[in-house]
Amino acid sequence: MNDAMIRARGVRKTYTRAGETLTVLDGLDLEMEEGHFYALMGPSGSGKTTLLNLVGGLDAADEGELLVAGESLADLSGGELAAWRAANVGFVFQAFNLIPVLTAVENVELPLLLSPLGRAQRREHAMYALKLVGLEDRAKHRPQQLSGGQEQRVAIARAIATDPKLILADEPTGDLDRKSAEQVLDLLVRLNGELKKTILMVTHDPHAAERAQRIVHLDKGQLGRVETRAAAAT
Amino acid sequence: MISFKLVRRNLLKHKMRSALTIASMVVGIFLLCVLRSLVVAIESGVQGSKRDRLVVQSAVSLFVSLPLNYQAKMEQVPGVAKIVKWQWFGAYWQEPRNFFANFATDPDALFDVFPEIEIVEGSVDDWRKDRRGCIVGDKIAEEYHWKVGQTIPLISTIFPPPQGETWEFHVSAIYRPKSTAIDRRTMFFQWEYFEKGVEPLYGESPGTGTYFLRLAPGADQNEVMRRIEAMYENGPQRVTCSTEAAFQMQFVTMMGNIPTLMMSIGTGVLVAIALACVNTMLMAFRDQAHDVGIMKALGFTDGGVGAYMLGQSLFLCLLGGLLGVALAKGSQPFLMMSRMGAMFPGYDVTTRTMVIAASLSAAIGLVAGFVPALAARRMRSVDALRSVE
Amino acid sequence: MLVPLAYNFRSIFVRRSATILTLLGIGATVTVLTGFFALSAGFRAVYTQGGRSDVVYFLRAGATSEGQSSFPRERADRLVKSTPEIAPDAKGAPLAAMEIYNAVRRQKARGAGETNVPIRGVQPASFELRENFRVVAGRAFKFGSDEVMVGTKLVDRIQGCGLDDVILLNTTPFRVVGVFESAGAAPSEIWGDYERIGVALAVPWANSILARLKPGVNMEAFARRIKDDKENPCKVMTEPEYLEAQTNALGTMLAMVGVILGVVMGVAAIFTAMNTMLAALAARTHEIGILLSVGFRPFAIFVSFLFEALLLGLLGGAIGCLLALPLNGIETGTTNWDTFTEIAFSFRLTPQVLVTAVIFSLALGLFGGAIPAFRAARLAPTEALRRR
Repeated sequence: MNDAMIRARGVRKTYTRAGETLTVLDGLDLEMEEGHFYALMGPSGSGKTTLLNLVGGLDAADEGELLVAGESLADLSGGELAAWRAANVGFVFQAFNLIPVLTAVENVELPLLLSPLGRAQRREHAMYALKLVGLEDRAKHRPQQLSGGQEQRVAIARAIATDPKLILADEPTGDLDRKSAEQVLDLLVRLNGELKKTILMVTHDPHAAERAQRIVHLDKGQLGRVETRAAAAT
Repeated sequence: MISFKLVRRNLLKHKMRSALTIASMVVGIFLLCVLRSLVVAIESGVQGSKRDRLVVQSAVSLFVSLPLNYQAKMEQVPGVAKIVKWQWFGAYWQEPRNFFANFATDPDALFDVFPEIEIVEGSVDDWRKDRRGCIVGDKIAEEYHWKVGQTIPLISTIFPPPQGETWEFHVSAIYRPKSTAIDRRTMFFQWEYFEKGVEPLYGESPGTGTYFLRLAPGADQNEVMRRIEAMYENGPQRVTCSTEAAFQMQFVTMMGNIPTLMMSIGTGVLVAIALACVNTMLMAFRDQAHDVGIMKALGFTDGGVGAYMLGQSLFLCLLGGLLGVALAKGSQPFLMMSRMGAMFPGYDVTTRTMVIAASLSAAIGLVAGFVPALAARRMRSVDALRSVE
Repeated sequence: MLVPLAYNFRSIFVRRSATILTLLGIGATVTVLTGFFALSAGFRAVYTQGGRSDVVYFLRAGATSEGQSSFPRERADRLVKSTPEIAPDAKGAPLAAMEIYNAVRRQKARGAGETNVPIRGVQPASFELRENFRVVAGRAFKFGSDEVMVGTKLVDRIQGCGLDDVILLNTTPFRVVGVFESAGAAPSEIWGDYERIGVALAVPWANSILARLKPGVNMEAFARRIKDDKENPCKVMTEPEYLEAQTNALGTMLAMVGVILGVVMGVAAIFTAMNTMLAALAARTHEIGILLSVGFRPFAIFVSFLFEALLLGLLGGAIGCLLALPLNGIETGTTNWDTFTEIAFSFRLTPQVLVTAVIFSLALGLFGGAIPAFRAARLAPTEALRRR
């Protein structure tokens, strides 16, 4: 349990907006262990989402070394990065980001299209994932026919469909009411506890962060306080 | 690797837009097929030409006739097997708009030189025996509802009849040619009837506009052509002897820039529908940029999402294009019955035309899908997920 | 009624790529059609300008053009002398000319193949009977000699039609001594002495007789008298009538192709315009909600969308006309199937052609914009506002 799932060394990321250079991450050092549920907190502009995107290989750091699930992301080409992502990372977004023209089960099946599985197996995996999130009876529904909480659970099912080690969630409860948010958080805790998924969740909601095992604080692109919560259980 | 379902669903989501794009493709490709088929029609005579046939005409003018005694002399040229004369008669039925080609000729020689003329109704014997007999192409028989045995009065724009206003002919038989060298809207009638009719007016026997020569097997085409032209080098009427293909080609060149014109129109049509498809695909990309961002986050490669956009474009354009091709082929029988069929008897939507049209549809699909596919490839999912919603 | 036209006008420029593509699409359609109309106009202009209604053509009954007609010489002579309606010339003789109309095979310039160039054997009165006839280079041919003049349109288009070139008619060589210009189809013809051309081509007859009538002759009665004449029945047509008849086959074909093109390409262009307007509508649903809630009436929204579509059509049409502009004056040629000879003519972007093109493009905008505008007008404000 002591292997590092994510290890960042001197990660630096800057953006140029309207001629001004903005340093979002400034030589960040960070280590996150496999099998834990981390919450990433910090004020707006502290670099939370940027870090999440870097870890998920959606964006590349300007400097520094970033090792995720045993791969040095800087060494991967665009195509290799995509394949790595398909196998190792599941994303959950604040805005759910389901494809509107596909049904729930088809959305969950989407990342499986990238796996070598056959048609029937894909459907089986997708249905299994939907069952895990408790929405097997909504398999044929389109996103617009689901509630926000249900949409987010479908998104989570999509994130775990390929059985990745790492789940990255960006404000997963941000667009949800209290009750739906609790359901989604319960689900994430269960995925961590039962399926041993490493979870990194960006949030600004202290209630949500409470559910994680560890809370990492970011401030101005630097690592701040790290709280370990013993009481993190289902 | 990309789900076809996704392509289909997205196209169905914007039913109106997809339908309009497909419809423009249908219309455009249909028009292209029609234009090309018209060019085919213009050039159809050349295609059907036989290598063993030569044509002798006046070297001076299309309007000048050759004396009849040329035939006997040309028959002496080694390599010439058979000769038949054709004289343009320029007649129409009832009204000038019912115009078709009609020639005075010799029945026996006609079939010797043009074995591809096949009688489908009536008999050649009846034609031979009847001085006023004629054979007509199946297309005109169909168009004017002529039956074998019927008497048809024609008005010649060139030769006034011996008495009355019209020349009278009896339909002895109906033919259908086995190649495009012979038109299905032509009428052939007896030389004798023509000669006896016009002689009193001109005070001498008329000449003929063209002689068709059939070569003996193994004859040297060029040598025959050279000798015949040399025979009349110094008059009384100089002749030009050409292959049948060259003879037919002269009617194509007479059309001048019309085939070029048709093709430039075609190019314009192509540009217009390609622009329409590019427009549609850019709209489609704008709608789906966010989806593409998600797909990339899920691990779809640049190539994968590019193929996905290109797939949509190809699907739309090919579907429209193939429907257009089908429409062009399907409408051929109806067009042939219309006035256009009368003007362009060789009109035919050939397999080659269909293949070209289908390839062009695919090409438009590629062009229209190119920019969205490139944009999808280049797009960073981080931007896509941030920018929309 | 308040219509937010300024708003539409701006939005056309905001959605730039869609607007540009649509304009180009409509433009391409209009270019093709304008070019085609210009071609038809050019062809018609050759035959509809310069005909004089007091000049008549005598043709053999049944013939529709000179090439098909023929008169034995003595009969033609007698006809001219026995027709009192023909006006006298300066010397008091009938102002009439017997003419031969034939064709010679010539190669087109730039290796484009063989064609049939009309050749005309004329008499001295022929010049006086033609409108605007003038020699522009060299000199007129001398009657009685083996010389010809060529029309201006032949010089560059047909091989061997320059000054001092020699044209072989059967076995007789004729020298080109002049180039002439005139109204009508004559600039596409070769002209020589009636007698000499007749001998060279072994044509012992006249194809047609041209004559000017005395003022005040009733054309209808005159045509009837000549048609029913016991001795010499023939057909009389005024010059405009005759020229008009020469546009039958090609004119019909051009008109037919023009209509097909207009309809088919128009439909495709309407679809494109409709697509663009539907996309504009989808992108602006929210804004329409605002307009409605601010107090614009649905009909105003309808009008404003239609205005936007008409503007698209008009701009596309303008682009199309501009793109077609370089075609103006380009010479081309084809065989006129009524005379079986080559006729040269040029693309003519007449005001009429341009007006037709603009009306056509406005129609494209109107038809393409009607449905989207209707949809826009039917949006419920609350529903529209909710959409992003």
